Amino acid sequence: MIRCAPSIHPKSKFAVRLLVVVASVVSIFGCSTHAKRIAIPRSLFYDGQMQACREGLEKLAKSSRHDRDVVNLDLAVVDLLGGQAKQAEARLREVRDRFDQLEQPSVAENTVSMWTDDQTRSYAGEDYEKILIRVMLSLSSLMHDGIDAESYTLQIQDKHEQLTERFVSTSGKEPTDYVPLPLGFYMRGMLREATHRDYDDAIRNYQMASSLLPGCEPLLWDLARVQKGVHSQPGHGVVYVFAMVGRGPYKVEVAERPTSDALLIADRIVSAVGPYKLPPTIAPIKIPDIVVPDSDVDSVGVQINAQRIGPTASLANIEELARKTYQANRNSIVARAVARRVIKKATIVAAKDTMGKKDGLTSLGMDIVGVAWEATEAADTRCWGLLPRDVQLLRVEVPAGDHVLNLSPLANGRPVGPAQQTKVRVNDGQNTYVISWFPDSRCVSQITCSTAP
Amino acid sequence: MFRREWLSGLSLLAAAGLSGCRGYQYGHVIKPSAENLVGSHEAGAEVFDPLVDEAVAKLLARQQIPTEDCPVGQDGLPIKKTICFIGIENKSAEDIGDFKDKLYNQIDSQILESNSFQPISRRMVDAALHETRMRPDALMVPDNMRLFTAVLQRGGAPVDYFLYATLTSGTTKRNSSTQRDYELTLELTNVHTGQYDKLSSEVRKGYHKSAMGKIWNYNPLKR
Repeated sequence: MIRCAPSIHPKSKFAVRLLVVVASVVSIFGCSTHAKRIAIPRSLFYDGQMQACREGLEKLAKSSRHDRDVVNLDLAVVDLLGGQAKQAEARLREVRDRFDQLEQPSVAENTVSMWTDDQTRSYAGEDYEKILIRVMLSLSSLMHDGIDAESYTLQIQDKHEQLTERFVSTSGKEPTDYVPLPLGFYMRGMLREATHRDYDDAIRNYQMASSLLPGCEPLLWDLARVQKGVHSQPGHGVVYVFAMVGRGPYKVEVAERPTSDALLIADRIVSAVGPYKLPPTIAPIKIPDIVVPDSDVDSVGVQINAQRIGPTASLANIEELARKTYQANRNSIVARAVARRVIKKATIVAAKDTMGKKDGLTSLGMDIVGVAWEATEAADTRCWGLLPRDVQLLRVEVPAGDHVLNLSPLANGRPVGPAQQTKVRVNDGQNTYVISWFPDSRCVSQITCSTAP
Repeated sequence: MFRREWLSGLSLLAAAGLSGCRGYQYGHVIKPSAENLVGSHEAGAEVFDPLVDEAVAKLLARQQIPTEDCPVGQDGLPIKKTICFIGIENKSAEDIGDFKDKLYNQIDSQILESNSFQPISRRMVDAALHETRMRPDALMVPDNMRLFTAVLQRGGAPVDYFLYATLTSGTTKRNSSTQRDYELTLELTNVHTGQYDKLSSEVRKGYHKSAMGKIWNYNPLKR
């Protein structure tokens, strides 16, 4: 047992106590991660227990201020799949506006996070989340009144351009990882085609989507239709089946050895606050990383009135979008963690220096506090956890009236789970939208329609 | 010395922290007389507003010239011609995004304010397109034209003219500078006789990678 010797200088005692208090306070922020807090509601969601999942998320939103925005995003997905599209849209708009506001850096938060961890900062959203918020906004709008759907589709492209420009200006690199989402162009084309007038816009947007997915045959059919044909034959309407497939990306904590690029950025941060240089090597640090679970479903088979129509086609590979955009910014995250470690170490050294004399026990005590301080640090794993791996689509023209729609999960073209059934009402010359989610071989919720009978 | 520098670094960060509150976004109303922003990457209000004003003014000026076959009302004044503005086709190199509907409304409103034409409501045009399932670019086929005008007439809107607007562009490149010529063409077709009139307006715009690009490429003393 280590006993504090009576010979310790009172000034030293004060410094040690102060450091212990500071380390204890900051460790409160750093001992739990979002990934742990969200684990139960997420598993409830994938078990299909929507109400229990909603309750868990709402409780988390109330109890954890820093998690509120990402929890609201998860709640928006629960709302959308539960048929409450209007509420989903309201939640998504709120988070969209907040993330836009948080794009302006707060020096206060950045400073505090250097002594704690990134979880103390307000979460401003990953780039892929900012784009997907607008995609989900479009879907939510289509599922109730559709008034703002077209604006949201324009915002998808706008946001993508903004993020690309920002990436280029901050990193000085080519934005090769910032590829636009074909679904954004497709939805705009879909809405312009539905006007029965603006086929030129539809052609332009389908061409953009097709250039991003050159092997996607359904896109070529759509393109051919808007170039020569019409939206639908008289007396017919169109059903768009939006199928969310698989479990999407989320963040976990990993130990990372800093790359040379990250060390370079970290060196700039550290040099800005004191007369320090980074050590040539540094022990692994905790950072968040993106993981995407494997899925046994790769598409959804669509049947209307017991007639097989075909499988859905992927128009938004969310896994790829998340991995690429996150990877593009990963060096900055690692650099912040490295800088934080150096600043913490330097703070301990500076505190020791204030005591004026080298006291073995005090020094050991402070080193222990320093190690504890670093150990309490956790990676910021906040993220939009309830995302699919893929958003897929199928368009089918049917006579106006009520129809029975069947959706079944497919793997390599074969059904791997029970089909879900619903009734849809199709209006003459109009679009009807259907949303479902198959994270694995079974659907987590009911099929939601924009115009149910 | 070491400690002092470290502490001064800390105090600087703390001061920056206190003053570094996250900003807000601000908005302001632009006076009608104020100039439009000039888009740095593509056309905006600074291009489209003058294009529409000039093209519509030319159209109205030409159509206000009285002709012998111009029908006259009981009061001796020429009867307004009914015009069906089908829509705008964007064939330019740029996506005009939310400007398309704005341009439609701008052209429609300016025609409505004139004494020459009586435009048909856009909602009626859309309803007729919806009912007939015809593409706007297929309306000039005689059978399609007859069917489409019959549907509008049934709705109480007889048609004298079809109006199409087309936005086109031409791009010239010189190293890192680009010149883009935007043209708005209005095509007016008499559905009774098949005669047509065509008017256009043009705005040219330069895009440069550097602030000196404009001076370097458009210097009047250079040529």
